[in-house]
This record gives sequence, C-alpha cells and structure tokens, in this order.
Amino acid sequence: MTVPTGRPATVREHTVETLSEWIANRISLYLKRPADEIASNVPLAEYGLDSVAALSLCGDIEEDFDLVLEPTVAWDYPTIDALAGYLVEELRATVGEA
Amino acid sequence: MLTNSAVPGARRPAAPAPDTAQEAAAQTRVAELERRFGDPGDPANPVGTQRLLAADEAGELSRDGEHLLDDAVLTADFVPADLGGRLTRIDTLTRVLRPVFRRDVALGLGYGVTSFMAAVNVWTAGSEEQRRRLADLLLGGARVSVAYHELAHGNDFVRNGFLARPEPGGYRLHGRKEVINNAERAAAFALFARTDDAPGSRSHSVLLAERDALDPARFRTLPRYTTAGVRGCRISGLEFDDCHVPAGALVGERGQGVELALRSFQITRSALPGMALGAADTSLRTVVGFARGRQLYRRSVMEIPHARDTLSDAFLDLLICDSLSLAATRAVHLLPEETSVYAAVVKYLVPRMLTETMHDLSIVLGARFYVREGEFGIFQKHVRDLPVLSLGHAGSAACQATVIPQLARLARRSWFSGDQAPAELFEPRTALPAIPFERLTLASGRDSLSASLVAACDDPADGSPEEQAVRTLTLRMADELRRIQQDSLALSPQDRTALAAPTAFALVDRYAVLLAAAAVLGVRRAARADGTDPFLADPAWAAAALHRLARRLGQHPAELPAGCAERVHREVLRRFHEHRSYDLYDTPLAG
Repeated sequence: MTVPTGRPATVREHTVETLSEWIANRISLYLKRPADEIASNVPLAEYGLDSVAALSLCGDIEEDFDLVLEPTVAWDYPTIDALAGYLVEELRATVGEA
Repeated sequence: MLTNSAVPGARRPAAPAPDTAQEAAAQTRVAELERRFGDPGDPANPVGTQRLLAADEAGELSRDGEHLLDDAVLTADFVPADLGGRLTRIDTLTRVLRPVFRRDVALGLGYGVTSFMAAVNVWTAGSEEQRRRLADLLLGGARVSVAYHELAHGNDFVRNGFLARPEPGGYRLHGRKEVINNAERAAAFALFARTDDAPGSRSHSVLLAERDALDPARFRTLPRYTTAGVRGCRISGLEFDDCHVPAGALVGERGQGVELALRSFQITRSALPGMALGAADTSLRTVVGFARGRQLYRRSVMEIPHARDTLSDAFLDLLICDSLSLAATRAVHLLPEETSVYAAVVKYLVPRMLTETMHDLSIVLGARFYVREGEFGIFQKHVRDLPVLSLGHAGSAACQATVIPQLARLARRSWFSGDQAPAELFEPRTALPAIPFERLTLASGRDSLSASLVAACDDPADGSPEEQAVRTLTLRMADELRRIQQDSLALSPQDRTALAAPTAFALVDRYAVLLAAAAVLGVRRAARADGTDPFLADPAWAAAALHRLARRLGQHPAELPAGCAERVHREVLRRFHEHRSYDLYDTPLAG
C-alpha cells in the first residue's frame, strides 16, 4: 500500500488543455519557434521535430510529471492533441494506483 | 525434479559449478580459424598476407579466403544456437571474427558480417518461419545484404524514400538502395522501406525479400562502386521498379521499422568495432617487428624512447578498446535495458581511437607506411580498410546523436546514485545467459557501467605506487563524471535534438572516454579478483590506460611510476615473441 501523498491533488490539476500548453511550450524550445505557431493537430514531425528530439521530449515528460513512459511515446502519439490525451489517461491511471 | 532427499548421498553444492563449456567452445573456434588461416608471413600460404594483398590490388575478395570460411561455415556463427547455429554470445562473436579481421577486413565484412547485420533484424523481430528460413539460408552458406542506406539521406534514415506500398497480398517495392555490400550475390535482402506517407518514426518497416522470389524484370543490381578501402568487397546497390513481395516478407509489425532498426543496431554496433581489433593487432605487430629489426643512430628503433612509447600506447589503446567492447557486448546479455548508450559509445569511440592509433604507428613505420607490398604492405591496407568501420552503418555523429537525448536523464537519475554493474560484465571468460533480443529498449535512464567507476573510488589500495596511481586517476575520472553531469543538466532543449550545438557532441565524446575508463577499471578489478591472468590483474596497465584516457580528456595527470611503462613494454615484447594477441584474451596466434 502506498501512503497517500500530496500528488493526487497536483495531478488533478492536469487537463488536456494544461498538458497541451505544456507540450507546446516545450516543443517551441526544441524548435526555437513560437508556441502559438504550432497547431495541436499537426504531426510534430511536420515542424521538424526529429526522432532524437522526440526521445528527449519523452524524458522531459517523465521528469516533470513523474511518469515512466515508453521512450517512443512521442512517435505513437505524434500530435500535441494525441500526446496530451494520452498523458491525461496515464496520469489518471497513476492516481488510481496510488 | 531430483532433490537431495531423493538421491541418497547427493550433496548440494555450495555454488553452481562455473560453466566453462562456453569458454572452451570459444577457444576451440578461435583456434580452428587460426589454424585454418595459418602463418600470415608464409609466402606459400594461399591466405597469407602476400596473397591477400594481391587480391586487394585486384579489387577482389580472396577466393581461397572465402573457400576457407565456407569450409569453416563461418555463417553459422551468425545464427542463434536454438536455430542450429553457433551464436550464443555477442562477445564471443566479436572474438571469433578477430582471426579473420586480423588478416583482411574486406574478407570479414564481405564474407559475412553484413549478413549478420541483416540477420539481427530477423532474430529480433522476425516470425518463427522467417527465423527458420533465414537460419537455413545462412547455414547453407548464403549471403544476406543489409539494405538500409540511400545516399541522399545518410544516417537520417527516417527520411528514406524507398517505398514498400501495401497492396493485396503483400507490398510493392519501389526505389533504390545504394552502397550495399554483396547486393549482386546475396540470397536475400533486409530492406528498410517507407510503408506510410505520414512523417515521423512510425512510417517505416523492415522487409526480408528473397532474391529468387522476386520478378527479375522488376529489380536489378546497380553498378559496383570502387572504394578507397575494403577494395575486395562487392559494394553496389539495388533498384526496384514496382516489384511485388508477399505479405510474409514483413519483419515484425508494420510501422515498427525505425524502432526495430534502433534495437538491432544495439547488437551490431556493440559487436562490430571490437572485430576490427584484429586488424589493429596485426598493424601493431607489424610495427613492433619493424622497430626490432631496423637500425638507426646505431641502435634499433625499439630503443628510441619515442618509438617504444608509441608502441606501448598503441597496445594500451587496444586494451582500452577491448575493455569497452567487452563491457558493451556483455551488456547486451546482462544489462539489455542499458545497451542503447553503450553500443553507440563503442561505435563512436573505438573506430575513432583505432584510426588515431594507426596514425601514431605509421609515424614509427616512416616511409614504409607507403609501401603497398612486402613485409610491411599489410599496414597500409589496414590503414585504408579500418575507416569503413566508422563509416559503415552508423557514422560517429549519428552515434553521438543517439546518446545526446539520454544525457540529461542519466544525469538526473543515474550518475552517482545507481547500482554498479555485476562483476560478470568485465569477465572475458565467464559464461553468459542467452541473448535477450526482446529486452533491448531505446532508452533506459540507467548506467551501471559508470556506477562501477564511482564504486571503484572506494577500493582499498595496497600501497604500491602503481596501485596508488590507479586510485588517483580513478578519483579524477569521478570528478570528470561530476562535470559531465553538470554540463548535461545545463543542456538546452535545442541541444537535445539531432541539430544540437557542437558542445553537446563534445559532451558525448567526454562521456565516451569516461565509460572507456570505467570499462578498464572493471576489467582490472575482475582480473584481480579472479587472479588467473597476471598481466590484467596487475595495476600497471590499468594505471597507464587511465593515464592515457585522462590526457585524452585534456587533464594533466601526474607522471606515472616508472614501473608502469616498463611492465607494458615487456608485455608488448612477450606477446610479439610468443605470438599472442594484443587484446584481453592473450590468444595464441598462428604467426
């Protein structure tokens, strides 16, 4: 059994919207391009996010959200919308386990 | 199941008996190849140096060499044991190929290593039927080409244009693959192809196409390339024009091609660079022979301190490269989750170091380095052939790019906090479990190899000057890891992409040197605990190797105790006179 921590409260704050914003900001750092120019339904590879950066992005997500993900997650969920949707589910599942 | 109570008188052993069968089999196989190839210096030997040089001049692979390897069924060494082959361990594969690379890099590559590169995809992700079929082809002596490359895209193979369009009953292949070894005679091709128009890393697949099943009107072999090195290799290309292959050609799942390639690379990148140590060994041996015989200033070249040190340094380079190669190839079995980093580091650092070693040796050899025949002619051939190992299949920058996205993660999660590697990682002769193809992963966030270096900081030193030197240099390496950690944490997001700034690439270089130091220390600690190899157990070589790596990092370590250089020099001479290999195995050679 895990002792409840403050984590569920913070996790509850994550929504598809907040996660999309986080991802867009991160991608804008990778690509040196304003976040509002990155459409949420266009594959990130179209903007030039290479396979190496996609692996780096996965590491960033793990670090900031305390998740363990498949390194290829950004390949399988190639748009901001898809990735945010997936992460919301993962974060909910983590809360369920706690 | 037998138990102690069921067998009267049986006693439970204190520990399982060491499994020496794998080591015995490896020694036998290496000895068999050495015996078949015979003395390289014998002019009457059909696979001696003189004849191999003549084949190279003619741009052909030695026919006698290929027959010899046919007779030895070298292709069986690429096939897993459960499919009837001899492949049980990656470190053993590297070791078994050394007698071939010792004599002729082109023969090693051209006869078969590219077949292994193709086959690993199938061993990793192929269906049972594909695995059996490919095993049959290889056990029958066939070649298989690995067809990933397209000149326009280099290592950026996600941008490859070669198409495999899904159609009823299979795929239609269209486009060109270039600079492909054995394309004109391979029985099958492992093809990396785009199966989806969408951008990104889920749009490619690997297909295994058999030559005889293809419509000959819809595919052709492209003209042969001439190359600066490995002139005997038959390197050409393939062109397909809407050529059908059955659905069963797909290896693994559709869209998994990039992932499969990156997983397969972990095995091939670990294994290949260590094979080249055979060629570097011959080069060092050639120059030692020269230095002993040649008289200058009324003494032999060997008595000139600069020349003697250069030869000792070359030997140290070989030991460093072999230590790193050993750790990476054994990590495939013992630490498969961590292999992505180690494999890329080996493929980056080992060819680079060996190229520099060859340059240093060429200075001792002087004008003879340019001569293409005779006693020293093999040297210039190896100089031309060795770079192919750093060009072929993953350039050094591509290997660095594999490590870059993992640095920040390792810095945050692993360095100075993770568990050290098991001692078996560094034991050249200890048995290993089967190759866990399914457990190779693209990134892990763990690094047990550098953790072994950190752990070595606490080793007791026995007080000898050499032991003290090892200890001091180990502490300095740990300081370097601390700096690498800080610099990795400071990398900007943009520096964690393939377009990272040069500083990120330089960071990978420092990290690679550090892992080499960790491997050297690991090998020496294991040898000291084991005690059967007095040279590897001696701190002298480890201190000298760490010293060399520290200087490579731009450090200015204190001078070594005189005993270190003396011990390494004696070993260089002993192995020359006794015909023993210049690597971790001290293998008896045929000449």
